Amino acid sequence: MLRRRVVITGMGCITPLGHSPGELWPALLEGRSGVAPLTLFDASRFPVRIAAEVKDWSPRNVGIDGRFLDNAPRQTQFALAAGLQAIRHAGLPSNRVSPRRLGVYLGVGEPFEDFTRFTASISDAARGGACADDAFLSSALRIFDPETEREYEPHRPATHLAGLVNAQGPVLNCIAACASSTQAIGEAARLIRRGEVDAMLAGGAHSTIHPFGVTGFHRLSALSTRNDDPRAAVRPFDADRDGFVIGEGGAVFVLEELEHARRRGAEILGEIAGYGSAQDAFRVTDSAPDGRGTVLAIRRALADAALNAEDIDYVNAHGTGTLLNDRIETIALKTTFGPAAGRVPISSTKSMLGHSTTACGAIELAVCLMTVRDAVVHPTINYATPDPQCDLDYVPNVARELDVRHVLSPSIGFGGQNAALVVSRFDESSRSAAAQRAA
Amino acid sequence: MDPMASAILRTASRRVVVTGLGVVSPIGLTRGAYWQALVEGRSGVRGRSAADGSPAAIPCAAEASEFTGDIENFGPLEPAVKKAIRKALKLMNRDTLLAVAAGQQALAESGVLAVTGGERVGVCFGADNISMNPDDFLGGVRACTGEDGRFDFDRWGTEGLGEIEPLWLLKCLPNMPACYLAIFNGLMGPNNTITEGAVSANLAIAEACRLIEDGLADAVLTGATGTTLRPFNLMHALGDEEFIRDCRDPQTASRPFDLHRRGAVPAEGAAAFVLEDLHAALERGATIYGEIAAASAACAIDASGRADGRRSLARSMRECLERAGLEPRSVGHLHAHGLSTQRMDADEAGAIRDVFAAEAERVPLVAAKSHQGHASAGSGATEMAASLLALRKGRLFPVLNYEQPDRACPVRPVTVAATVPAGDSFLNLNLTPHGQASCVAVRAWESN
Repeated sequence: MLRRRVVITGMGCITPLGHSPGELWPALLEGRSGVAPLTLFDASRFPVRIAAEVKDWSPRNVGIDGRFLDNAPRQTQFALAAGLQAIRHAGLPSNRVSPRRLGVYLGVGEPFEDFTRFTASISDAARGGACADDAFLSSALRIFDPETEREYEPHRPATHLAGLVNAQGPVLNCIAACASSTQAIGEAARLIRRGEVDAMLAGGAHSTIHPFGVTGFHRLSALSTRNDDPRAAVRPFDADRDGFVIGEGGAVFVLEELEHARRRGAEILGEIAGYGSAQDAFRVTDSAPDGRGTVLAIRRALADAALNAEDIDYVNAHGTGTLLNDRIETIALKTTFGPAAGRVPISSTKSMLGHSTTACGAIELAVCLMTVRDAVVHPTINYATPDPQCDLDYVPNVARELDVRHVLSPSIGFGGQNAALVVSRFDESSRSAAAQRAA
Repeated sequence: MDPMASAILRTASRRVVVTGLGVVSPIGLTRGAYWQALVEGRSGVRGRSAADGSPAAIPCAAEASEFTGDIENFGPLEPAVKKAIRKALKLMNRDTLLAVAAGQQALAESGVLAVTGGERVGVCFGADNISMNPDDFLGGVRACTGEDGRFDFDRWGTEGLGEIEPLWLLKCLPNMPACYLAIFNGLMGPNNTITEGAVSANLAIAEACRLIEDGLADAVLTGATGTTLRPFNLMHALGDEEFIRDCRDPQTASRPFDLHRRGAVPAEGAAAFVLEDLHAALERGATIYGEIAAASAACAIDASGRADGRRSLARSMRECLERAGLEPRSVGHLHAHGLSTQRMDADEAGAIRDVFAAEAERVPLVAAKSHQGHASAGSGATEMAASLLALRKGRLFPVLNYEQPDRACPVRPVTVAATVPAGDSFLNLNLTPHGQASCVAVRAWESN
C-alpha cells in the first residue's frame, strides 16, 4: 500500500529581506543581512538596540479590507499576508478544492500585550503595594480596549485565515517555542497523508520585537549585544558569536495531496517527505548536551521519509548564533551523519534574517524549496573565525551551487522542543523507490 | 516480512484506549473528589469582592482555590519526580501547575511508565494564552516610576529590565505544561501544544490518537489546561463572549440550556489522560476507561469573521459518528459545551437537533460547566474526564440549575432528581465563538 504523498503547491512569506519568496531568495544568495537598528519602539536606552525587522510594513500590505487588521499584532498581519500569497501562488481559489477538505495549521506564537498600557495598569493598580490580579484587572479593563484585546489570542490568525480562504476542515494553531511552525507543517502533512483532508494551509508567524521580547530574551542571556555592528551581529557557528538577534516574519504554504494537485494541474514546488518531533526531556532553558532530542527528531524525520542520513544533500540548520545552540546542534548533526558529517553542507538562514522564533521553521521551509528548485545553497554570513567545537562545513559567506534532492531542516526550541522536516525535490520515481525499499 | 511493511500493517489497525486520568477542577483536586462533587451536584462557583469590599471586576468565579501549588497537590509521586517538581514550582505559571498536577495523576494511575521507557511516550496538550503575572513586573515598574507616580519608559532599559526574573519569559510560553510534563517524566516522544481556545482539548486528544495510530508513539499524555480567570485571558474572552455581569446567587450563575441563562462563569481547570495502544494496554493488564473511537473538527467562519457554530458543530458530529461507526440512536450520552450563554447554547442545541433529529430529545445530555464554569481550553479536558468517569461508574451526573427548558434548546439535560445511565458511548463537544467545533467519540471498552 503506497501512502499518500504530500507536496507543496503554493508558498508565501514576509521577512526582513522581502515581502515575498521572490524578494527574499536573491538577498539570501547575495548574503545580505536583514539586521539593523531597532525602530519598532524606542530602544535607545535598552541593552539591545538591534533587530531584524520586516521593513516598510503596513497592514495595508495584506491586501484585504479589514479594520481588525489595524488592531491585530504584527504576526497576525504577517500570517494572513503570507497565507493569501500562498493561496494565490497555488492557483487555489476555493472552487478548486472542497472547503470541507481544506484546513489550516499554523504555529503562530504568543502575542505580547501593549507595554505602555500594561505598565500603566500596574501603576494604577499597585498604589496599595502589591498588584493582585483583581486590582490589575479592574485597572486594565479601563486602560485596554477589549475589541483590540480579542486579537491577542494565539488562535486568531488561524481562524482569520480559515475565514479568508473558506477552509471548513480542521483549523489549528500550535505553540512549541521555536519549533512551532515546523511542527504545524509536519502535523498538517500528517492530516493529508491520513486522508482526513486534501489540502492544508500550514506555516507560522511571529514578532517578538517588542519591549517584552527584548526584556525576556535579554534576561535569558540569549541576545547578541553587538549593537554597533548590526549586520555582523548574528554569527552562527563562528567562534565570536554572542547570541541571536530578534527577527520577525511569517511564511505559509499550501500543502496538498499529490493526486489532488495533479488533477488540477498545479505546479509542484517540492515534497514534504518526512517529519519528526521529539523532546529532550532535559531542561526548559537549554538542550541536553548531547543534543539527544534533536537527534531523535532527525531520525524520526528520516525514518518517516524512508531515507538514510547519507541521502541528505544539505542541512538548513536551526543555527541561532548562541554559544550553546550552535555547539549542541553541531554535536547532533555529527551523531546523525557519523564520519560523513563534514561532507554535508550546512547553512544558517538566521545569519541573515535573525531569529523569528515560532515562525523560523516556516520561513526556512521556503528557503529549502527554493534550494531544491535552483540547485544553489545560501551562505552562513559573518563566518570569520572557526570554532574548534563547530567544525563542519557551514557554507561560509558565499553561496554555493549544489544539486540538492533532499534537505534536512531541524528546529530547536525552549522547553526541550525539537522537530525536523525532510524536504525533497519533487521526483515521480524517488518516493516510489523509497517505498519499494521499505517493502 | 520487512519490519517497515509489517509496522505499516500493524499500525493500520492500532486502536487507542484511555488508561489513566487526572483532574484539577474547582470542584475537586482528585478523580474521586471530582466525581463526588459532580454526582452530588455541588457547584464550584463563588462570589467575589475586591480587597476593599467594593464590587470586583469578576462578580463570581469558579476557582480551584484548594489548589495552592503545594507539592501535596500533585498526587502520588516518585521521589525523583517529586524533587524535580518541587525545584521548579516557582518557575511554573498557574496554568502549568494545574496541568502538571493533572498529568502526574494520570501517569500514576495508568502505570504506563513502569513498563515502557519514556522514549516512545509523547505529550500533546491543549493550553490557553498564558496571562502575564502583573506581580512579576511590579519591581521593574517601581524602579522606573518617578515622584509624580508616572512610569517613565526611558528608564526601563536601564533600570526596569534588570528587575525582571531571568526565566520570566519561559513562564509565559503556552508549551510549558507539555514541556515540564516531558521533563519531569522523561517523555521523549513527539511533543506539541494546541492553542485553539475552547476546542484545544479535543484537538489535542485527536492529535495524540494520530500519533498512536500511526505508530509514532506507544502512549501519549494528553489533555488541556486553561483559564478565563487570569487578567488577560478574561479580557480577551470578554471581547468574544458574554460573561455573567452580576451575580447575587453564585451557585446558580452557570445554567447551561436553562431559559434564564445569562452568561459564562470565569473558571480555571485542567485534566489529563494517558492514551495508549490497545494491545500494549491489554498486554500489561492496564485498566481501560474507554476507547477513543473517533475525533473530528470543523470550522465555519466567513471572510468578514461571521461564525456559524451550529453548522460546524453539526458537521463535526456527523463526521465523528461516521468515523466511529456509531448511529445517533446508539450514542449513550452527550457532553455538551454548555457555555450558559443565550447564543452558544442555542447554536449547540440546534446542531444536536440537526444531527440527532428526534433522538435529540432522548439522548441524555450533561454539561459540567454548570458545576465548574468556563475554563476555556481546560474545560474540554475536565468535561472529557467527567464523562469517562461516568462511563466507568455507569451513571450520569446532573446539569445544575437546569430549571426552565428553553424552546430554542430542544435537548435533554439530565436534571438533578434523575438517575440516568451513562450508556456505553459518548460524544465530547466543544465550540468557539469563531465557528470552530470539535467532537471526540468514546466507547466503553467492555462493549466491544
